[in-house]
Amino acid sequence: MSRSAARGIAGGVLLLLIWEVLARGLSLPAYTLPAVSDILGAVWTHRVPLFSAGWLTAAEALAGYAIGCVAGIGIAVLLVLLPPLRGGLLPVMMAINSVPVAAYSPLVLLWFGIGVASKVVMVALAVGFTIFLSALAGFDRVDRRSADLMRSFGAGHLAILWRLRLPAAMPLIAAGMRVSTVRSLIVAIVTEMLGAYGGLGWIIYQAVVQIDFVQVWSAIVVASALSLSFFGLVGAVERRVIFWK
Amino acid sequence: MREVSKSFGTVQALRGFALSVQGGEFVTVVGPSGCGKSTLFNIVAGLDEPDDGGILRFKDRGCHARELLGRVSFMPQRDLLLPWRNVIDNAILANEIEGASRRDARARALAMLPEFGLAGFEKQYPHQLSGGMRQRVALMRTFLFERELMLLDEPFGALDALTRTMMQRWLLDVWQRHRRTILFITHDVDEAIFLGDRVLVMTARPGAVKLARQVDLPRPRTPDLVTAPEFVALKREILDAIEEEAMKSFIASTGA
Ligand SMILES: Nc1ncnc2c1ncn2[C@@H]1O[C@H](COP(=O)(O)OP(=O)(O)OP(=O)(O)O)[C@@H](O)[C@H]1O
Ligand SMILES: [Mg+2]
Repeated sequence: MSRSAARGIAGGVLLLLIWEVLARGLSLPAYTLPAVSDILGAVWTHRVPLFSAGWLTAAEALAGYAIGCVAGIGIAVLLVLLPPLRGGLLPVMMAINSVPVAAYSPLVLLWFGIGVASKVVMVALAVGFTIFLSALAGFDRVDRRSADLMRSFGAGHLAILWRLRLPAAMPLIAAGMRVSTVRSLIVAIVTEMLGAYGGLGWIIYQAVVQIDFVQVWSAIVVASALSLSFFGLVGAVERRVIFWK
Repeated sequence: MREVSKSFGTVQALRGFALSVQGGEFVTVVGPSGCGKSTLFNIVAGLDEPDDGGILRFKDRGCHARELLGRVSFMPQRDLLLPWRNVIDNAILANEIEGASRRDARARALAMLPEFGLAGFEKQYPHQLSGGMRQRVALMRTFLFERELMLLDEPFGALDALTRTMMQRWLLDVWQRHRRTILFITHDVDEAIFLGDRVLVMTARPGAVKLARQVDLPRPRTPDLVTAPEFVALKREILDAIEEEAMKSFIASTGA
């Protein structure tokens, strides 16, 4: 384990200790701040429903993430290959993207129901835009002289895209994908809170209604654990694939 | 090529440029900075069309510049290696684009590595190489793209003097074995005379041919040649021509 990772863990543990001491010492009520030990205890007691809720949320986030990545890169490739399309489509995309995704959620829930589909669509939208914009920026960043060199070898648009633009855009695309991991879980959970049959967001919503704040916190713990491991996983893959940075 | 001109907006980079190169010839081009040398290469490589009225002939046939894409092997001023490809895969880039099988191309490149002083480095990535090695990989990429005409734009410009002389001798050596036609841009008059069958001096912008001199020095050439009287006389003449042009472009650029 690297030094910075060890330092991060040490910092986290210290923070949790202070939290525990404060919550116990000042005997704060659970709706303000429950003690860490109480939250972990609740996670353990409710591990079965929490696990299945976490599983559902993770599956939604992952499906939406995958769709968003493929669609984002796909549309960016399309715009690069068909420049006339770009002038028409790009402003529309920017307009849609300028509104926070949360604003579309009532419509998405209306169209796709309160089942899994609406969560996947919301995540795909949120992730798709991020990836689309980073891919487009990456494709545009290519050095003209490199493209000219490939043309002098007789390369067409497709060959230049495949051998030059796509790899050159990878660092930006990967950074977008890394940031999107956390976003995908946030969007899935928020959409669940607006209406769902299950998932961590739904558990949080139910717990708030029942004024069970320890339960809210335990769902948050599971959500952060998921989020962090997804982020770490994609980050690790990124470092391996983009070795030349 | 004859009567070739090229303007970028109001800037005229080339005007009435004329040059004809024989098969197997090594022609070096010197000229003040910004006189249109790279522009000339971009036209010959097919990347830019000359202005109307320019006449290009390739292998006794008139043609448009764009028809030359994929027909001459071009090495630009910077090495432009792809950072995600290792030495071998960078070297075979042009062959891959031609549609050659990767396995065959890699095998051929691997066999060529020692000749380019890169033996054992096939798996290294560009960021692990020195400037001179990167330049040799770029040269190897140019050589592997087997076309009769090679365009080399200041291939040794970024190297220190010592590496540079070694690379020059090495290039002559490789050229003598592979016998390609070479057009070679440089800022260095010694280099131009040492390498070339013919040295071309360009005028300040807009670029045209100021002076063309045959270099009748025996080959193979050795480093001590640079002190031979014929060499020195030729160098004197070329330096004078360049200085005249450099003064012109300096005066033009200071607006005096
Ligand atoms: N794409 C372009 N657009 C506009 N102007 C250009 C372009 N390419 C070159 N020029 C101009 O044309 C002139 C000649 O440029 P060129 O690159 O051919 O010079 P050069 O002789 O290769 O110079 P150097 O020795 O510094 O490499 C310059 O004044 C440059 O500003
Ligand atoms: Mg140049």
